[in-house]
Amino acid sequence: MSHKENTAEVESSNMTGTEDPTNDEMLVQTDVSDGLSASTSVSETTNAETIIRADDINVWYGDEQALQNISMEIPENSVTAMIGPSGCGKSTFLRCINRMNDLIDVARVEGELTLRGKNVYDDDVDPVALRRRVGMVFQKPNPFPKSIYENVVYGLKIQGIEGDYDEIVEESLKRAALWDEVKDRLHESGLDLSGGQQQRLCIARAIATDPEVLLMDEPASALDPVATSQIEDLVEELAEDYTVVIVTHNMQQAARISDKTAVFLTGGELVEFDDTQKIFENPESQRVEDYITGKFG
Amino acid sequence: MATQSDTDQIQGFGQVSRTTGVIFRYLLMGATMFGIVTLAILLVYVANDAIQPLTADAGWYLVFFVTFVAPTTLVGAYLYRTNVDALKLGLLVVGMLAVTLMFSGGVAIVFVDIVPPLVSLSYAIGLLVPFAAVVLMTKYEDAIPFTARVAATGAIFFLSLFGIPGYYHSIPEMVQKIPVVPTEWVIITLVFGGVVAVVVGQYFARIRENTRAGVVAGVAALAATGAAAVSGMFTGVNPTALAVVAAGAFVPTAAYAGGAALTREEERIGLLLAAVVIGGSLVGAGIVDVLGFAGPQSWVDWQFLTSSHSGTAENAGLYPAIGGSILLMVTVAALSFPLGVGAAVYLEEYAPDNVFTRFIDVNISNLAGVPSVVYGLLGLGVFVTYLGQPTGTVLIGGATLALLILPIVIISSREAIRSVPQDMRQASYGMGATRWQTVKNVVLPEAFPGILTGTILALGRAIGETAPLIMIGAPNVLFNLPTELSSKVSAMPLQVYAWSSLFASEDFYTKAVPAGVVVLLAVLLAMNSVAIVLRNKFESES
Amino acid sequence: MSTDDLETDLTRKTENSPRELLTRSFFFLCAALSVVTTISIVALLVTEAAKFFTLTAPLMGVTGETASIVDFLTGTTWQIHNKEFGVLALVSATLMITIGSAIIALPLGVATAIYLSEYASKQARSVLKPALEILAGVPTVVYGFFALIYITPAIGVVLPGIGTFNILSASIVVGIMIIPMVASISEDAMSAVPDDLRQAGYGMGATKFDVSTGIVVPAALSGIFSSFILALSRAIGETMAVTVAAGAQAKFLNPLDPSSYLEGALPMTAAMVQLLTGDITGGGLAYRSLFAIGLVLFVITLIMNIISDYVAQRYREAY
Repeated sequence: MSHKENTAEVESSNMTGTEDPTNDEMLVQTDVSDGLSASTSVSETTNAETIIRADDINVWYGDEQALQNISMEIPENSVTAMIGPSGCGKSTFLRCINRMNDLIDVARVEGELTLRGKNVYDDDVDPVALRRRVGMVFQKPNPFPKSIYENVVYGLKIQGIEGDYDEIVEESLKRAALWDEVKDRLHESGLDLSGGQQQRLCIARAIATDPEVLLMDEPASALDPVATSQIEDLVEELAEDYTVVIVTHNMQQAARISDKTAVFLTGGELVEFDDTQKIFENPESQRVEDYITGKFG
Repeated sequence: MATQSDTDQIQGFGQVSRTTGVIFRYLLMGATMFGIVTLAILLVYVANDAIQPLTADAGWYLVFFVTFVAPTTLVGAYLYRTNVDALKLGLLVVGMLAVTLMFSGGVAIVFVDIVPPLVSLSYAIGLLVPFAAVVLMTKYEDAIPFTARVAATGAIFFLSLFGIPGYYHSIPEMVQKIPVVPTEWVIITLVFGGVVAVVVGQYFARIRENTRAGVVAGVAALAATGAAAVSGMFTGVNPTALAVVAAGAFVPTAAYAGGAALTREEERIGLLLAAVVIGGSLVGAGIVDVLGFAGPQSWVDWQFLTSSHSGTAENAGLYPAIGGSILLMVTVAALSFPLGVGAAVYLEEYAPDNVFTRFIDVNISNLAGVPSVVYGLLGLGVFVTYLGQPTGTVLIGGATLALLILPIVIISSREAIRSVPQDMRQASYGMGATRWQTVKNVVLPEAFPGILTGTILALGRAIGETAPLIMIGAPNVLFNLPTELSSKVSAMPLQVYAWSSLFASEDFYTKAVPAGVVVLLAVLLAMNSVAIVLRNKFESES
Repeated sequence: MSTDDLETDLTRKTENSPRELLTRSFFFLCAALSVVTTISIVALLVTEAAKFFTLTAPLMGVTGETASIVDFLTGTTWQIHNKEFGVLALVSATLMITIGSAIIALPLGVATAIYLSEYASKQARSVLKPALEILAGVPTVVYGFFALIYITPAIGVVLPGIGTFNILSASIVVGIMIIPMVASISEDAMSAVPDDLRQAGYGMGATKFDVSTGIVVPAALSGIFSSFILALSRAIGETMAVTVAAGAQAKFLNPLDPSSYLEGALPMTAAMVQLLTGDITGGGLAYRSLFAIGLVLFVITLIMNIISDYVAQRYREAY
C-alpha cells in the first residue's frame, strides 16, 4: 500500500530525531537499559509472533473488580476473539489494550500489558500515541457528523499524516468494502448511511491511519444479519494486514472468523485461551464447555 | 338488580372524583396562566400608551384593513387549514425580515455615528492581513514549531494593528492615509454588500448545483445593495445606513425566500403570506400618504429613535441609549463568550474529579445567584476605585455585565457540551486524538448551536440590566453617542429608569417611558426569538 | 511499519506539546476566573464594609468598631444626612417584598409546575414554557414601571389609602417575575419522580388528582423547597423593580401588619441605587455604607443559595 510508506516517513520525521534507526534487538536493549522488567521482555519479544502480551491484569471500577489476573498472548496478523456472557469484562479488557479506560475517572488498571515488548502502562507512555497505533471500532457505529470523506481523513489530520488524501480515502473505503456504495457521495454526511454502512465507515476511518492493531468491540451487535456477515468477511480480510482483536457475544461468529479465542466468564476472569478450534471442539475447562453448549451463561 | 346498582355506585363515585379532578385541573391551568395573562395585559397597556393606536383617522384604519389586515388574515387562515408547514415558512420569512431590519438598523447606527466606515474598514484589513498570515502558517504547521508560530502570530498582529511608532505605520493608519477614498456608502456597499453577495452566491450555487446561478445571484445581491444606497441620495435618507440595511436585511431575507421557493416546493405557497404582509403594508402606507389620512400619534417614531434626551417628553429620544446598548452588547459578548465557553470546556472535558473542581462547580452556581447590584458594587469597587478607571465607561460597563452573565453562559455552555454524545468523544480519542483535537474537531462544533442559544439568552439578560450600570456610575442623561470604549455609556433600560424616576412627571410616564419600554421589549423579543428558532432547529436536527 | 521507533513513539507525551499546554491552561484560567470573581467580591465587600464600621464608630457617638456594627445591624433608622445607618429599616422593607412576592409566586409556581409536569399536553407545554420564560426575561426596570404606573392606580381603586410608592405592587411584580423560577425547578423535580411511583398509584385505582397531590408532590418536595429558596433569594436581590415602585423614604415597617404593605419603604437594593443616583451626601461614609449593605445582601443570598443547593443535592441523590 502506497500510503503505508508515507505513514512511516512522516512518523519518523515527527520523532525528536536523535535516535539511531533501531531494530527489534536494539529496542530490547533500550528496555534493558531502562530497567523495565528486562528478562521477560527479552524472552517474549524474541517471539516475533506475539504482538500483545497481558500479564496479570487487574481492573477496578471504583471498588468493584472488573478483571482478575488476566494473562494472555495475542499473535500478530491474526483474529483473536473474546467471548463470554455480558458483564464478564471482555470489553473492559479490550479497552485496556489502547488505554480507553483512562478516560473513565474511577477506572484503575494494575499489571503489565505490552505492545511489542513495551509496557503500555509505563508512566512514560502517552495514551494518545498508543491509540494512534491501536485503532478501535465501537459497538454502536459512531461516525462523526461530518462528510464521509472528512470521517475517513479525520485520523490522518489529527495525527499530522500527509499524503494523497483522495487516494487514502479510496483505498480505505475499498478495504472496508464500502467504496462502491459511497464513491459518488463522498461529501454527504456520514450519518445518512445505513447502520451497516456506518460501521464499515468507522472501520475505514480506523484503518486509514494504518494502525498495527485493530480492536473491535462487538462491531456487529447493532446490525442486521446481512450487514453482520459483511462485517465478518471484512474482519477475515483485515487479518491479513492487521492484528484484529474482536469482542463478540455471538459464539458462532467467534468460531467462524477467529484464529484464537479467549473465554471470559462472570467476575472478570479469563477461563480459557487457546486456538479457536480447540476451544469449540475440545475445551479444557468444564465451565467453558458448559458455556459453549449453552448450559451456562 | 345487584349488578345494576353496583354500576350506579361506581359511576356515582367516578363522578365525584372526576369533578374534583376537573376543578383541580382548571385551577392549575388558571395558576399557570395568571402570570402570563397579567403580563399580557400590562403589555397591552404600555403598547397603547406608547403607540396610541386609537388616535388615527378612521380612513387610515379602513385603508390598512383593506390592504393589510384582511388579505393577511385570509391568506393566513387558508394556509393554516391547508398547509401548516407553509404557514410556518411564511411567518419565518416575515419574522426574519423584522428581526434583520432591527439588527441591521443597529449596525447602521454603528457605521454612521460610532465608527466611520473607513476606520472600520481599515481595522478590518488590519485584522485580515495577520489572519491570512496565520492561516498560511497553519497550513504548514508541521514545518514550523508551535511556539515559533505563536510568537510570529503575536508579532504580526501587533505590527499590523499598532506598527512601530516613527518607523512603520500600522495597517489601519496606512489605509486611512490613502489619498483617494470612495465615499462611505461605496465602501459599505462593496465590503458589507460584497460579503453578503458572496454568501448569497454560494448558497444559490449550492442549491442549484450550478456555478452560474450562484454568480448571477451574487451579482444581483450586490446590485440590490448598491441600488438601495443610491436611492438614498434621492430620498434624503443616509445612503450608508440604507446600504447596511439592504445588505443586512433585505438581501438575506430575499435570498432565503428565493431559496425556499426553489427548494421547498410543497411549502413555497407560504411565501404568499410574506408577500401579502410586506406588499399590504407598503401599499397601505402609499394610499394613506396620498389621501392624507393621519396615522396614530405614536410616541415610538423616527424622532424618538434618532434624537437624544430632552427635558420635555415630546422631544425626548432614545438614540444615545440605543447606541450605548449596542456597544455594551458588543463588549459583553466579546468578553463573556470566550471566557464562558472556555470555562465550560475546562469543567466538562479537562477537569479531574477533585475538590478544586467541585469547588469551582459550586462556586459558579452560587455566582449565578448573586444579585446584579452586587456585581455593580464589584465593578465600582474593583474597576473604578482600585484600578482607577473613569466611572461609567463602555469598557467597565461591559466588563461588569460580562462578569454578571458569565455564570449563565458557563452553565448553558456546559449543558450544550454535555449533550454531545459520548460516542463521538470515544471515536475521536480512539483514533488517537488529543484532548484539544477532540474539543476542537468534535465537541465544540457539535455543541456550538446550544452554546450560541445560551449566549444569546444571556446577552438578553445583560441588555435589560440597569442596576450594575447605575452602580458603576453610568450617567443618567447622555446627549451624545458613545464612540469608543472609554466614553461614557448609557443604555436603554437605564434611560427608561432615568425618565421614570428622575424626570417623574405625567408627561414622561405616558409618553417617553412607554415608548422606551416598547423599544426595549422589541429588541429583547427579537433576541429571544432568534434564540428560540436556533434552539428548535438544533433540537429537531439532533 | 514503524515499529522501530516504538519506544520513542509511545512516550512522546502529546499532552505536554505546546498546543495542548496552551489550550489547557487557557481553559483552566477561564474556569479559575469564577473563583477570582468570588474572592474579589468577598474581599471587596469585607474590606470596604470594615472601613465603614471604623469610620462610623466615632460619628455615631460610640467607641470601638464592634459597637457600630451592632448599631448597624440593630438600628431601625436609615438617614444618611443625619449619619444614622440602621440597616433594619432596609431589611424590613426587603423582608416585606420577599413575603409579598412569596405569597404570589410560591403557590402559583408550584401549581404551574404540577400542571406542566402532570397535566399539560406536549403541545401546551411547548407554548407555555417559552411564555413563562418571557416572564423572567422582561427587564426588571420595566416591571417596576408597570407596578408604578398601572398596578398601583388599579389597586388604588379598591384600596384608596395606597401610596404612590408602595410595597404591595412591587411585591406583585416581583412575584410574577419569580414564578418561572419556582415553576421550572419544581417541574424538574417532579419530572425526576420515577414513573414507577405514578404507575403504582394508578394501579391502586388513584385518580390523576390523587397521584399528583399524593405521590408526585411529596416525592418532589425537596426539589420544590429548593426552588422556593432560590426564588426568594432572587426576590431579595431584585433591584430595579423595587427601586422604581417601592423605593421612597427609608422606614421601619412591621412586616406582619398588612396595612404597612400599602406604604412605601426602601429595600436594601433600592437604598444602594438611591445612594448612587442622588448626590452622595455622606461623602466617603455614604459610599462605604453601600458596601456594608452589599455585604449583608451578599451574605443573605449566599446562605440561601447554599441551602437550596444542599436541598437540591439531596433530591438528586434520592433518584
